[in-house]
Amino acid sequence: MEIKAIGCEPLQLKRMHIKDGHTLKVYQETGGYESLKKAMNMSQDDIINEVKASALRGRGGAGFPTGMKWSFVPRQSPKPKYVVCNADESEPGTFKDRYLLERDPHALIEGMLIAAFALGAAACYVYFRGEYRYLIDIMDKAIDEARAADIVGKNILGSDFSCEFFTHTGAGAYICGEETALLSSLEGYRGHPRMKPPFPAIEGLYACPTVVNNVETLTAVPQIIEMGGKAWQELGTEKSGGTKLWSVSGHVKKPGVYELPMGYKDLEKFIMEDCGGMLRDDKKLKAVIPGGSSVYIMNAEQIVGKGVTMDYEGLVVGGSMVGSGGFIVMDETVDVMESTKNLTEFYKHESCGWCTPCREGTDWLVKIFNRISEGGGRPEDAQLLLDICDNIEGKSFCPLGDAAAWPIQSAVKRFPEDFKKWLLNKTNGNGVVANI
Amino acid sequence: MSELIKVTINEQDFEVEKGARLIDVCREKGFNIPSFCYYSDLALQASCRMCLVRIEKMPKLQTSCTITCTDGMIVTTQSEEIEKAQRAMSEFLLANHPLDCPVCDRGGECELQEMIFDWGDVEERFTEKKNVEPEKFLSPIVANDPQRCIVCKRCTRVCDEWMGEDAIEAGNRGVNTVIGTYGGWLNCSQCGNCIEVCPTGTLLDGVYRHETRPWELDQTITTDVYGSDGMQLSIGSRGGLVHRIVARDRYVNGLNGEFLDVKARFAHEFVNHPDRIKTPLIRYKKGGKLIPATWDEAIHFVGQKLTESGKNVGVVASPRLTNEAIFTLKRFAKEVVGTDNYAVSDRYDLSVFFDNLSAPLATHKEIRKAKTLVLIGGEPEEEQTFTAKQMRQAVRNDGAKLIIVNHTPIRLSAQASQFIHINPNSYDAFVLALTDSANDDANAKKLGIETKDLADFRQTLSETEGDTVVMFGGDLSPQAQSVLANSADAFDGTNAKVLFHPLPLYNNSVGANDLMEGKKSLSEVLKNSKALLIGGSLQEADTNLLANKDFIVVQELFETETTKYADVVLPAASFAEVDGTFTNNTGFVQRVRQAIEPVNQSKADWMITTLIAREMGADFGYNFSATMVFKAIADSVSAYEGLRYPALKDESKPVQVKHAISAKKDLSKEFDVLKSNVEKLSDEANKLTATPRVGHKLHRLTTLTSKTAQFHLLAHGNPKPENLLVSPLVQFNLDGTPRTETADAAAVGVTDRINLKVEY
Ligand SMILES: Cc1cc2nc3c(=O)[nH]c(=O)nc-3n(C[C@H](O)[C@H](O)[C@H](O)COP(=O)(O)O)c2cc1C
Ligand code: SF4
Ligand code: SF4
Ligand code: SF4
Ligand code: FES
Repeated sequence: MEIKAIGCEPLQLKRMHIKDGHTLKVYQETGGYESLKKAMNMSQDDIINEVKASALRGRGGAGFPTGMKWSFVPRQSPKPKYVVCNADESEPGTFKDRYLLERDPHALIEGMLIAAFALGAAACYVYFRGEYRYLIDIMDKAIDEARAADIVGKNILGSDFSCEFFTHTGAGAYICGEETALLSSLEGYRGHPRMKPPFPAIEGLYACPTVVNNVETLTAVPQIIEMGGKAWQELGTEKSGGTKLWSVSGHVKKPGVYELPMGYKDLEKFIMEDCGGMLRDDKKLKAVIPGGSSVYIMNAEQIVGKGVTMDYEGLVVGGSMVGSGGFIVMDETVDVMESTKNLTEFYKHESCGWCTPCREGTDWLVKIFNRISEGGGRPEDAQLLLDICDNIEGKSFCPLGDAAAWPIQSAVKRFPEDFKKWLLNKTNGNGVVANI
Repeated sequence: MSELIKVTINEQDFEVEKGARLIDVCREKGFNIPSFCYYSDLALQASCRMCLVRIEKMPKLQTSCTITCTDGMIVTTQSEEIEKAQRAMSEFLLANHPLDCPVCDRGGECELQEMIFDWGDVEERFTEKKNVEPEKFLSPIVANDPQRCIVCKRCTRVCDEWMGEDAIEAGNRGVNTVIGTYGGWLNCSQCGNCIEVCPTGTLLDGVYRHETRPWELDQTITTDVYGSDGMQLSIGSRGGLVHRIVARDRYVNGLNGEFLDVKARFAHEFVNHPDRIKTPLIRYKKGGKLIPATWDEAIHFVGQKLTESGKNVGVVASPRLTNEAIFTLKRFAKEVVGTDNYAVSDRYDLSVFFDNLSAPLATHKEIRKAKTLVLIGGEPEEEQTFTAKQMRQAVRNDGAKLIIVNHTPIRLSAQASQFIHINPNSYDAFVLALTDSANDDANAKKLGIETKDLADFRQTLSETEGDTVVMFGGDLSPQAQSVLANSADAFDGTNAKVLFHPLPLYNNSVGANDLMEGKKSLSEVLKNSKALLIGGSLQEADTNLLANKDFIVVQELFETETTKYADVVLPAASFAEVDGTFTNNTGFVQRVRQAIEPVNQSKADWMITTLIAREMGADFGYNFSATMVFKAIADSVSAYEGLRYPALKDESKPVQVKHAISAKKDLSKEFDVLKSNVEKLSDEANKLTATPRVGHKLHRLTTLTSKTAQFHLLAHGNPKPENLLVSPLVQFNLDGTPRTETADAAAVGVTDRINLKVEY
C-alpha cells in the first residue's frame, strides 16, 4: 500500500509518514495551527477570497468551488452558523479520508476552525460513517488535546472567537454522505435527503446556515492560508487548483493513496508507471473507473495514447469525472457486465427509498442483472437497461439515482462485447442487441 | 390581494398570484398533472416524481409540486419527454405492486388504479419476480398490505402534522421501505386519517375490511354525530346497513377535508346494532316490564297520559338531536303543553356564551389562518378534534402564536408559544386579570404564575397583526364565560380582528342553544315536572331525578339508564336514518341526510314528537316532511331566518348563522362572583403536571368513549353490546421490551371479521 505524492510536495500527505503526526505536539512542531493564527488576523472576507483564489473544489465528489459555497452563507443572519465535515466516505473505491482522519486529525480541526472563523460559526460537527468508529476515538482525542491547548472551545487562542467541536457517527448508510441526508441524520432523523433549495448554506443543520465540506476539502484550507490562495491554485490548473488525493485500487502493482497536482499528465502514465503498472504483466488494461463508483467507466481506448489529464476538465474531456478520486483499475479478466452488476447491487442496497425512480428502478435493474448472470439474458435487455437508466437519470430526488444510472449507461455502451455475450441466444449466437 | 405575475403554460399566458404553487396553477388552468405525494397543506415530499414538467432555463425536468411560480416562468406540461417520464414513474410504481385490485378494498377508488388508466403503459416490461410482504394489522382498525405501498408518505405526514402523533413511520430503506409502527400496535388515537389519505390499498379500514366493494355502496354525505366541529363525512351503506364512514374528498368536500377522528370514522356500529329498540315499548304498571306495542297503541297511550298531566309536563332535548327534533320538542312544550319547562340535557349551558358574545364566531378556516390563538381551559384534542388540527397547523405551517392557559400541561401546550400553567380551579382569576391589569401581582399569585406572564400575554395580543381567535369552553365558570365572551376588546391587537370559538361537547350543542330560547336548567325542569317527554337519554348522573314521576316518555335508540324510568319508550332513528340539520361550533348549519331506512320500526325524533302532538290535537303543519320543519325553524328563529334546505345543499359552502353580537354589558354581578371565588382561592396550590394522554385509548368502537357519555341513544359507558372484544394494546419500549402497563382495554366488536391475535 503506497501513500505518496507524485509530481508535487506532499501537502495533504505531509504527516502520513511522520511518527505521532496525529498528536498535537507533532502537529505543531510541523507547522500546525500557524494557519489558524494567521487566519484569525485576517478579515472573514479575506479568508473567503483566498479560498476563492485557490480554485479549491469540493473533494466529496461534486467538485463545487469551495470559496463560492462559503460566500453563500448569510453571515449577517442572526441564526447560529455551523461547519460540518463530511467524513462519511462511502463511495466505493474511495479511501483517502480515512488516512487523513487517522494520521492527521489536527489538520481537519484546523481547517474547520478556519472555516468556522471565516463564517462566524459557533460549532463544528464531524460526521463519520458508521464503520469509521475507530477513527472517532482518534478524533475525539485530538479535539480534547486541542481544547486543553485553548484551540477548541471558548476564547480560542485567547481571542473572543469561540467554537465547539462535536463528532457523530452514522449507522452505515451511503446516502448519509449526501449532504442533506447527512444533516437529517445528524439531527437524529431518518437519513433521507432534503429538498434543495433551500441549500444548506442558507438552511442547513437545524434550519441554520451550514457549510458541509469533505475531509480533504477542509484539510486543504490550512495549506491555502499558509501559502496564499494564488500559490496553492498554481500547483494545479486554472480551474482545478492545488493537489488531489487519489485512492487507487484494483489490478495495479502498487495500490494506495496518491497525491497528484491537479492537471497531472497523464492517466495512462499514472497507471503504468506511478502505480507500478498492471498487477499481472500478461494481462492488459481493460477499464478504469477514475472517480469512485458513481462516474462513467472508461475503456482502454479512451486511455491508451489519449493523454488524459487528471483534473476536473481533463477527465470530462476524457469521458468521465474526478468524482471522489476513487480510482479503480481493471484488467482484461474482468467481465464488465458482472462488475456493473456488483455496483448496481450496491446502489439498490443503498437507495434510501424516498423517491420512486431510484427505489424501484435500482431494484428492477438488479433483478435484470441477476437474471442475465443466471443465463437468462435476452437481446432486448441492453435496451431495457439503458431505458430504465434514462428513466432514473435526472428524475430522482437526489443524485444517488443519477449515480446508479451512469455506471450502467457507460458500461453498456463502452463494453458492448461483455453484454452481447450474455444477451445473445446461447445456442446459436443469434439475435440483435439493440443500441450498443 | 397579493401581487400578480405572468407565467406561460403550454404557450398560453396567465396572470397568477405571486407565490402560487405551480402544480396548483396548472390544474386550476385546466392542465392535468398527475401526482401522488403532493397534498396541499402538508409538508412537501417531492418523492413520487409524477408531477414532472419542463421549465425553461432549468436543467432537468422539475417537480411542479415544489416550484413556486416566478414572473416570466415558461412551463411545458405536455411533451414527449414529459409523457415518457410520467409513464416511467407509473411503470416503476407498478414494478413491485401486486396488481391484486380484484381483492383490494381500495379497488374502484384507488388513486394508483386511476392514474395508471390515465398515464400508464399498456405493455408490461417488468417480467421479474415481485417482492412480497405479508399482510398485517398495524392496530385492530388499521389493516396494512405493505406490497401495495408507493411510499408517498401521506400517511406519516398526516399523522405527524394533523394529529401531532407521529405514530406511523417508514422503516427499512430502499425497495424494502415499509410503513409501520415504532413497535407493537400503533400507539395513537386511532383516528384512521392515515387510512383515509392513503392513495392505494396499503392502509385499510380494518373494521370494514372485505365487507363490500366500494362501488356497491351508496354514499350519503352527512354531518358527524359526535363532535361539535360539524365534520362532513360520507356514510357508505348497502341494503339498509351502514358499512363504513369516510371523509374521502372525492365524495365529500366539507370543512374538514379528509380529516375525521376515531369516533366519527369508526364508531358507527351502533346504527345497525342488534340491541336497537325494535318496537314501541309500554310499561303498563310502575315496576313492571317494558312490553312491545304498536305505534298506534303507544302514541295513543302517550297522548292520553300527557293530556292527563296537563301543564305539569316538562320537555327535555338532547344536544345530540337534529335541530328539527329539538325545535319540535320545544314547540311541543310551548304550543301543546303551554309550559316554559323545557331544557337541554347538555353538560354545560352555552347561553352564557352566546348572550354575551361580543365578536363573531371564528370559522375553522379562520382558525387555520389566525395569527394568534388563545385557548383558555379545554382539551380540543380530545373533544374538538378538527379545531385542534387547525390550531396545530396554524402554528406549524404558518407560525401562528398559540397561547394556552390551562391547569395541566395538555399535549397541545408543547406547541404553544406561551403556556400559562395556572393552579387548578383558578381560571376565574385569569379572567379577572385579563379584564383588569391593576391587580396583576395579586392575580398572578392566585394563578401561581409570574406577573410577567400576564404582561407577556398582553404584549403578544397587542402585537398581533391578523386575526386573534379566543377559545374556551364549559370547564370555566358561567361567570367567567360571560365575562370572556363580552371582552373582545381585551384581545385587540394592532390591526386584529377578534373572533370567538366556543368549545361545546356535542354535535348539536349550539343548535340546541339556538332553538331552545328561554330554556330552563335541566334540574329545574326535572324537579318542576310531574310528567316528562325526553328526547334522548340523560346522563346517568341526572337520572335519579326521574324517580317518582307520574309519567315518562323517552325517545331512544337503546334501552338505557333513562329508559329504566320510562313508562313508554319510542324507538327513535339514528342520524344515519333521518334528514335534518346540526349547527356546529362555528355556527355552520349543515345537513344531516338519510343514508338508510329507519332501522326496525324506529322513526325520526321530530316525527315522533309530531305524532304525539297530533294525538293531543295540535297540528304543527309539517306535512311529515323534514323540509317543512326546517322552514318552520327559519320562520321563527331570527338567526336562521330565510334558510331552506336547498341553501344548505353544498357541503363545500356551509352557511353560517349570524349569532347576535352583544354590546358591552354591565356584568358587575358576574364580576362580584368572580372576585369572591378568587378570594377564596389559596395562594398555595399544587400544580398538576401530568400531560393527559389524548385519545390513546382504543376507543370503545362499537359504543362510545365515556367522554361522549350522553349519546342520545346510547347512553353512557353502554355496557350493552355483548360482542365486545377486549384486546390489550401492547406497547413496547424503545429497546423492544414490552411495557408493563398494557394500555386500556380496547373494544373492537368485530371479532368475527378480524382474527385479532395479540402476541406479547
Ligand atoms: C449519494 C451521495 C453520496 C455522497 N457521499 C459523500 C461522502 O461519502 N463523502 C463526501 O464528502 N461527500 C459525499 N457526497 C457529496 C456531498 O453531498 C457533498 O457534495 C459534499 O459533502 C460537499 O463537500 P465538498 O464540497 O467539500 O465536496 C455524496 C453525495 C451523494 C449524492
Ligand atoms: S435518488 Fe431518491 S431513493 Fe435514491 S437515495 Fe436519493 S432520494 Fe433516496
Ligand atoms: S390512526 Fe391516526 S394517529 Fe394513528 S397512525 Fe393513523 S394517522 Fe396516526
Ligand atoms: S401506506 Fe399509503 S399513504 Fe402511506 S406511504 Fe404507503 S401508499 Fe402512501
Ligand atoms: S407530486 Fe410532485 S413529486 Fe409527487
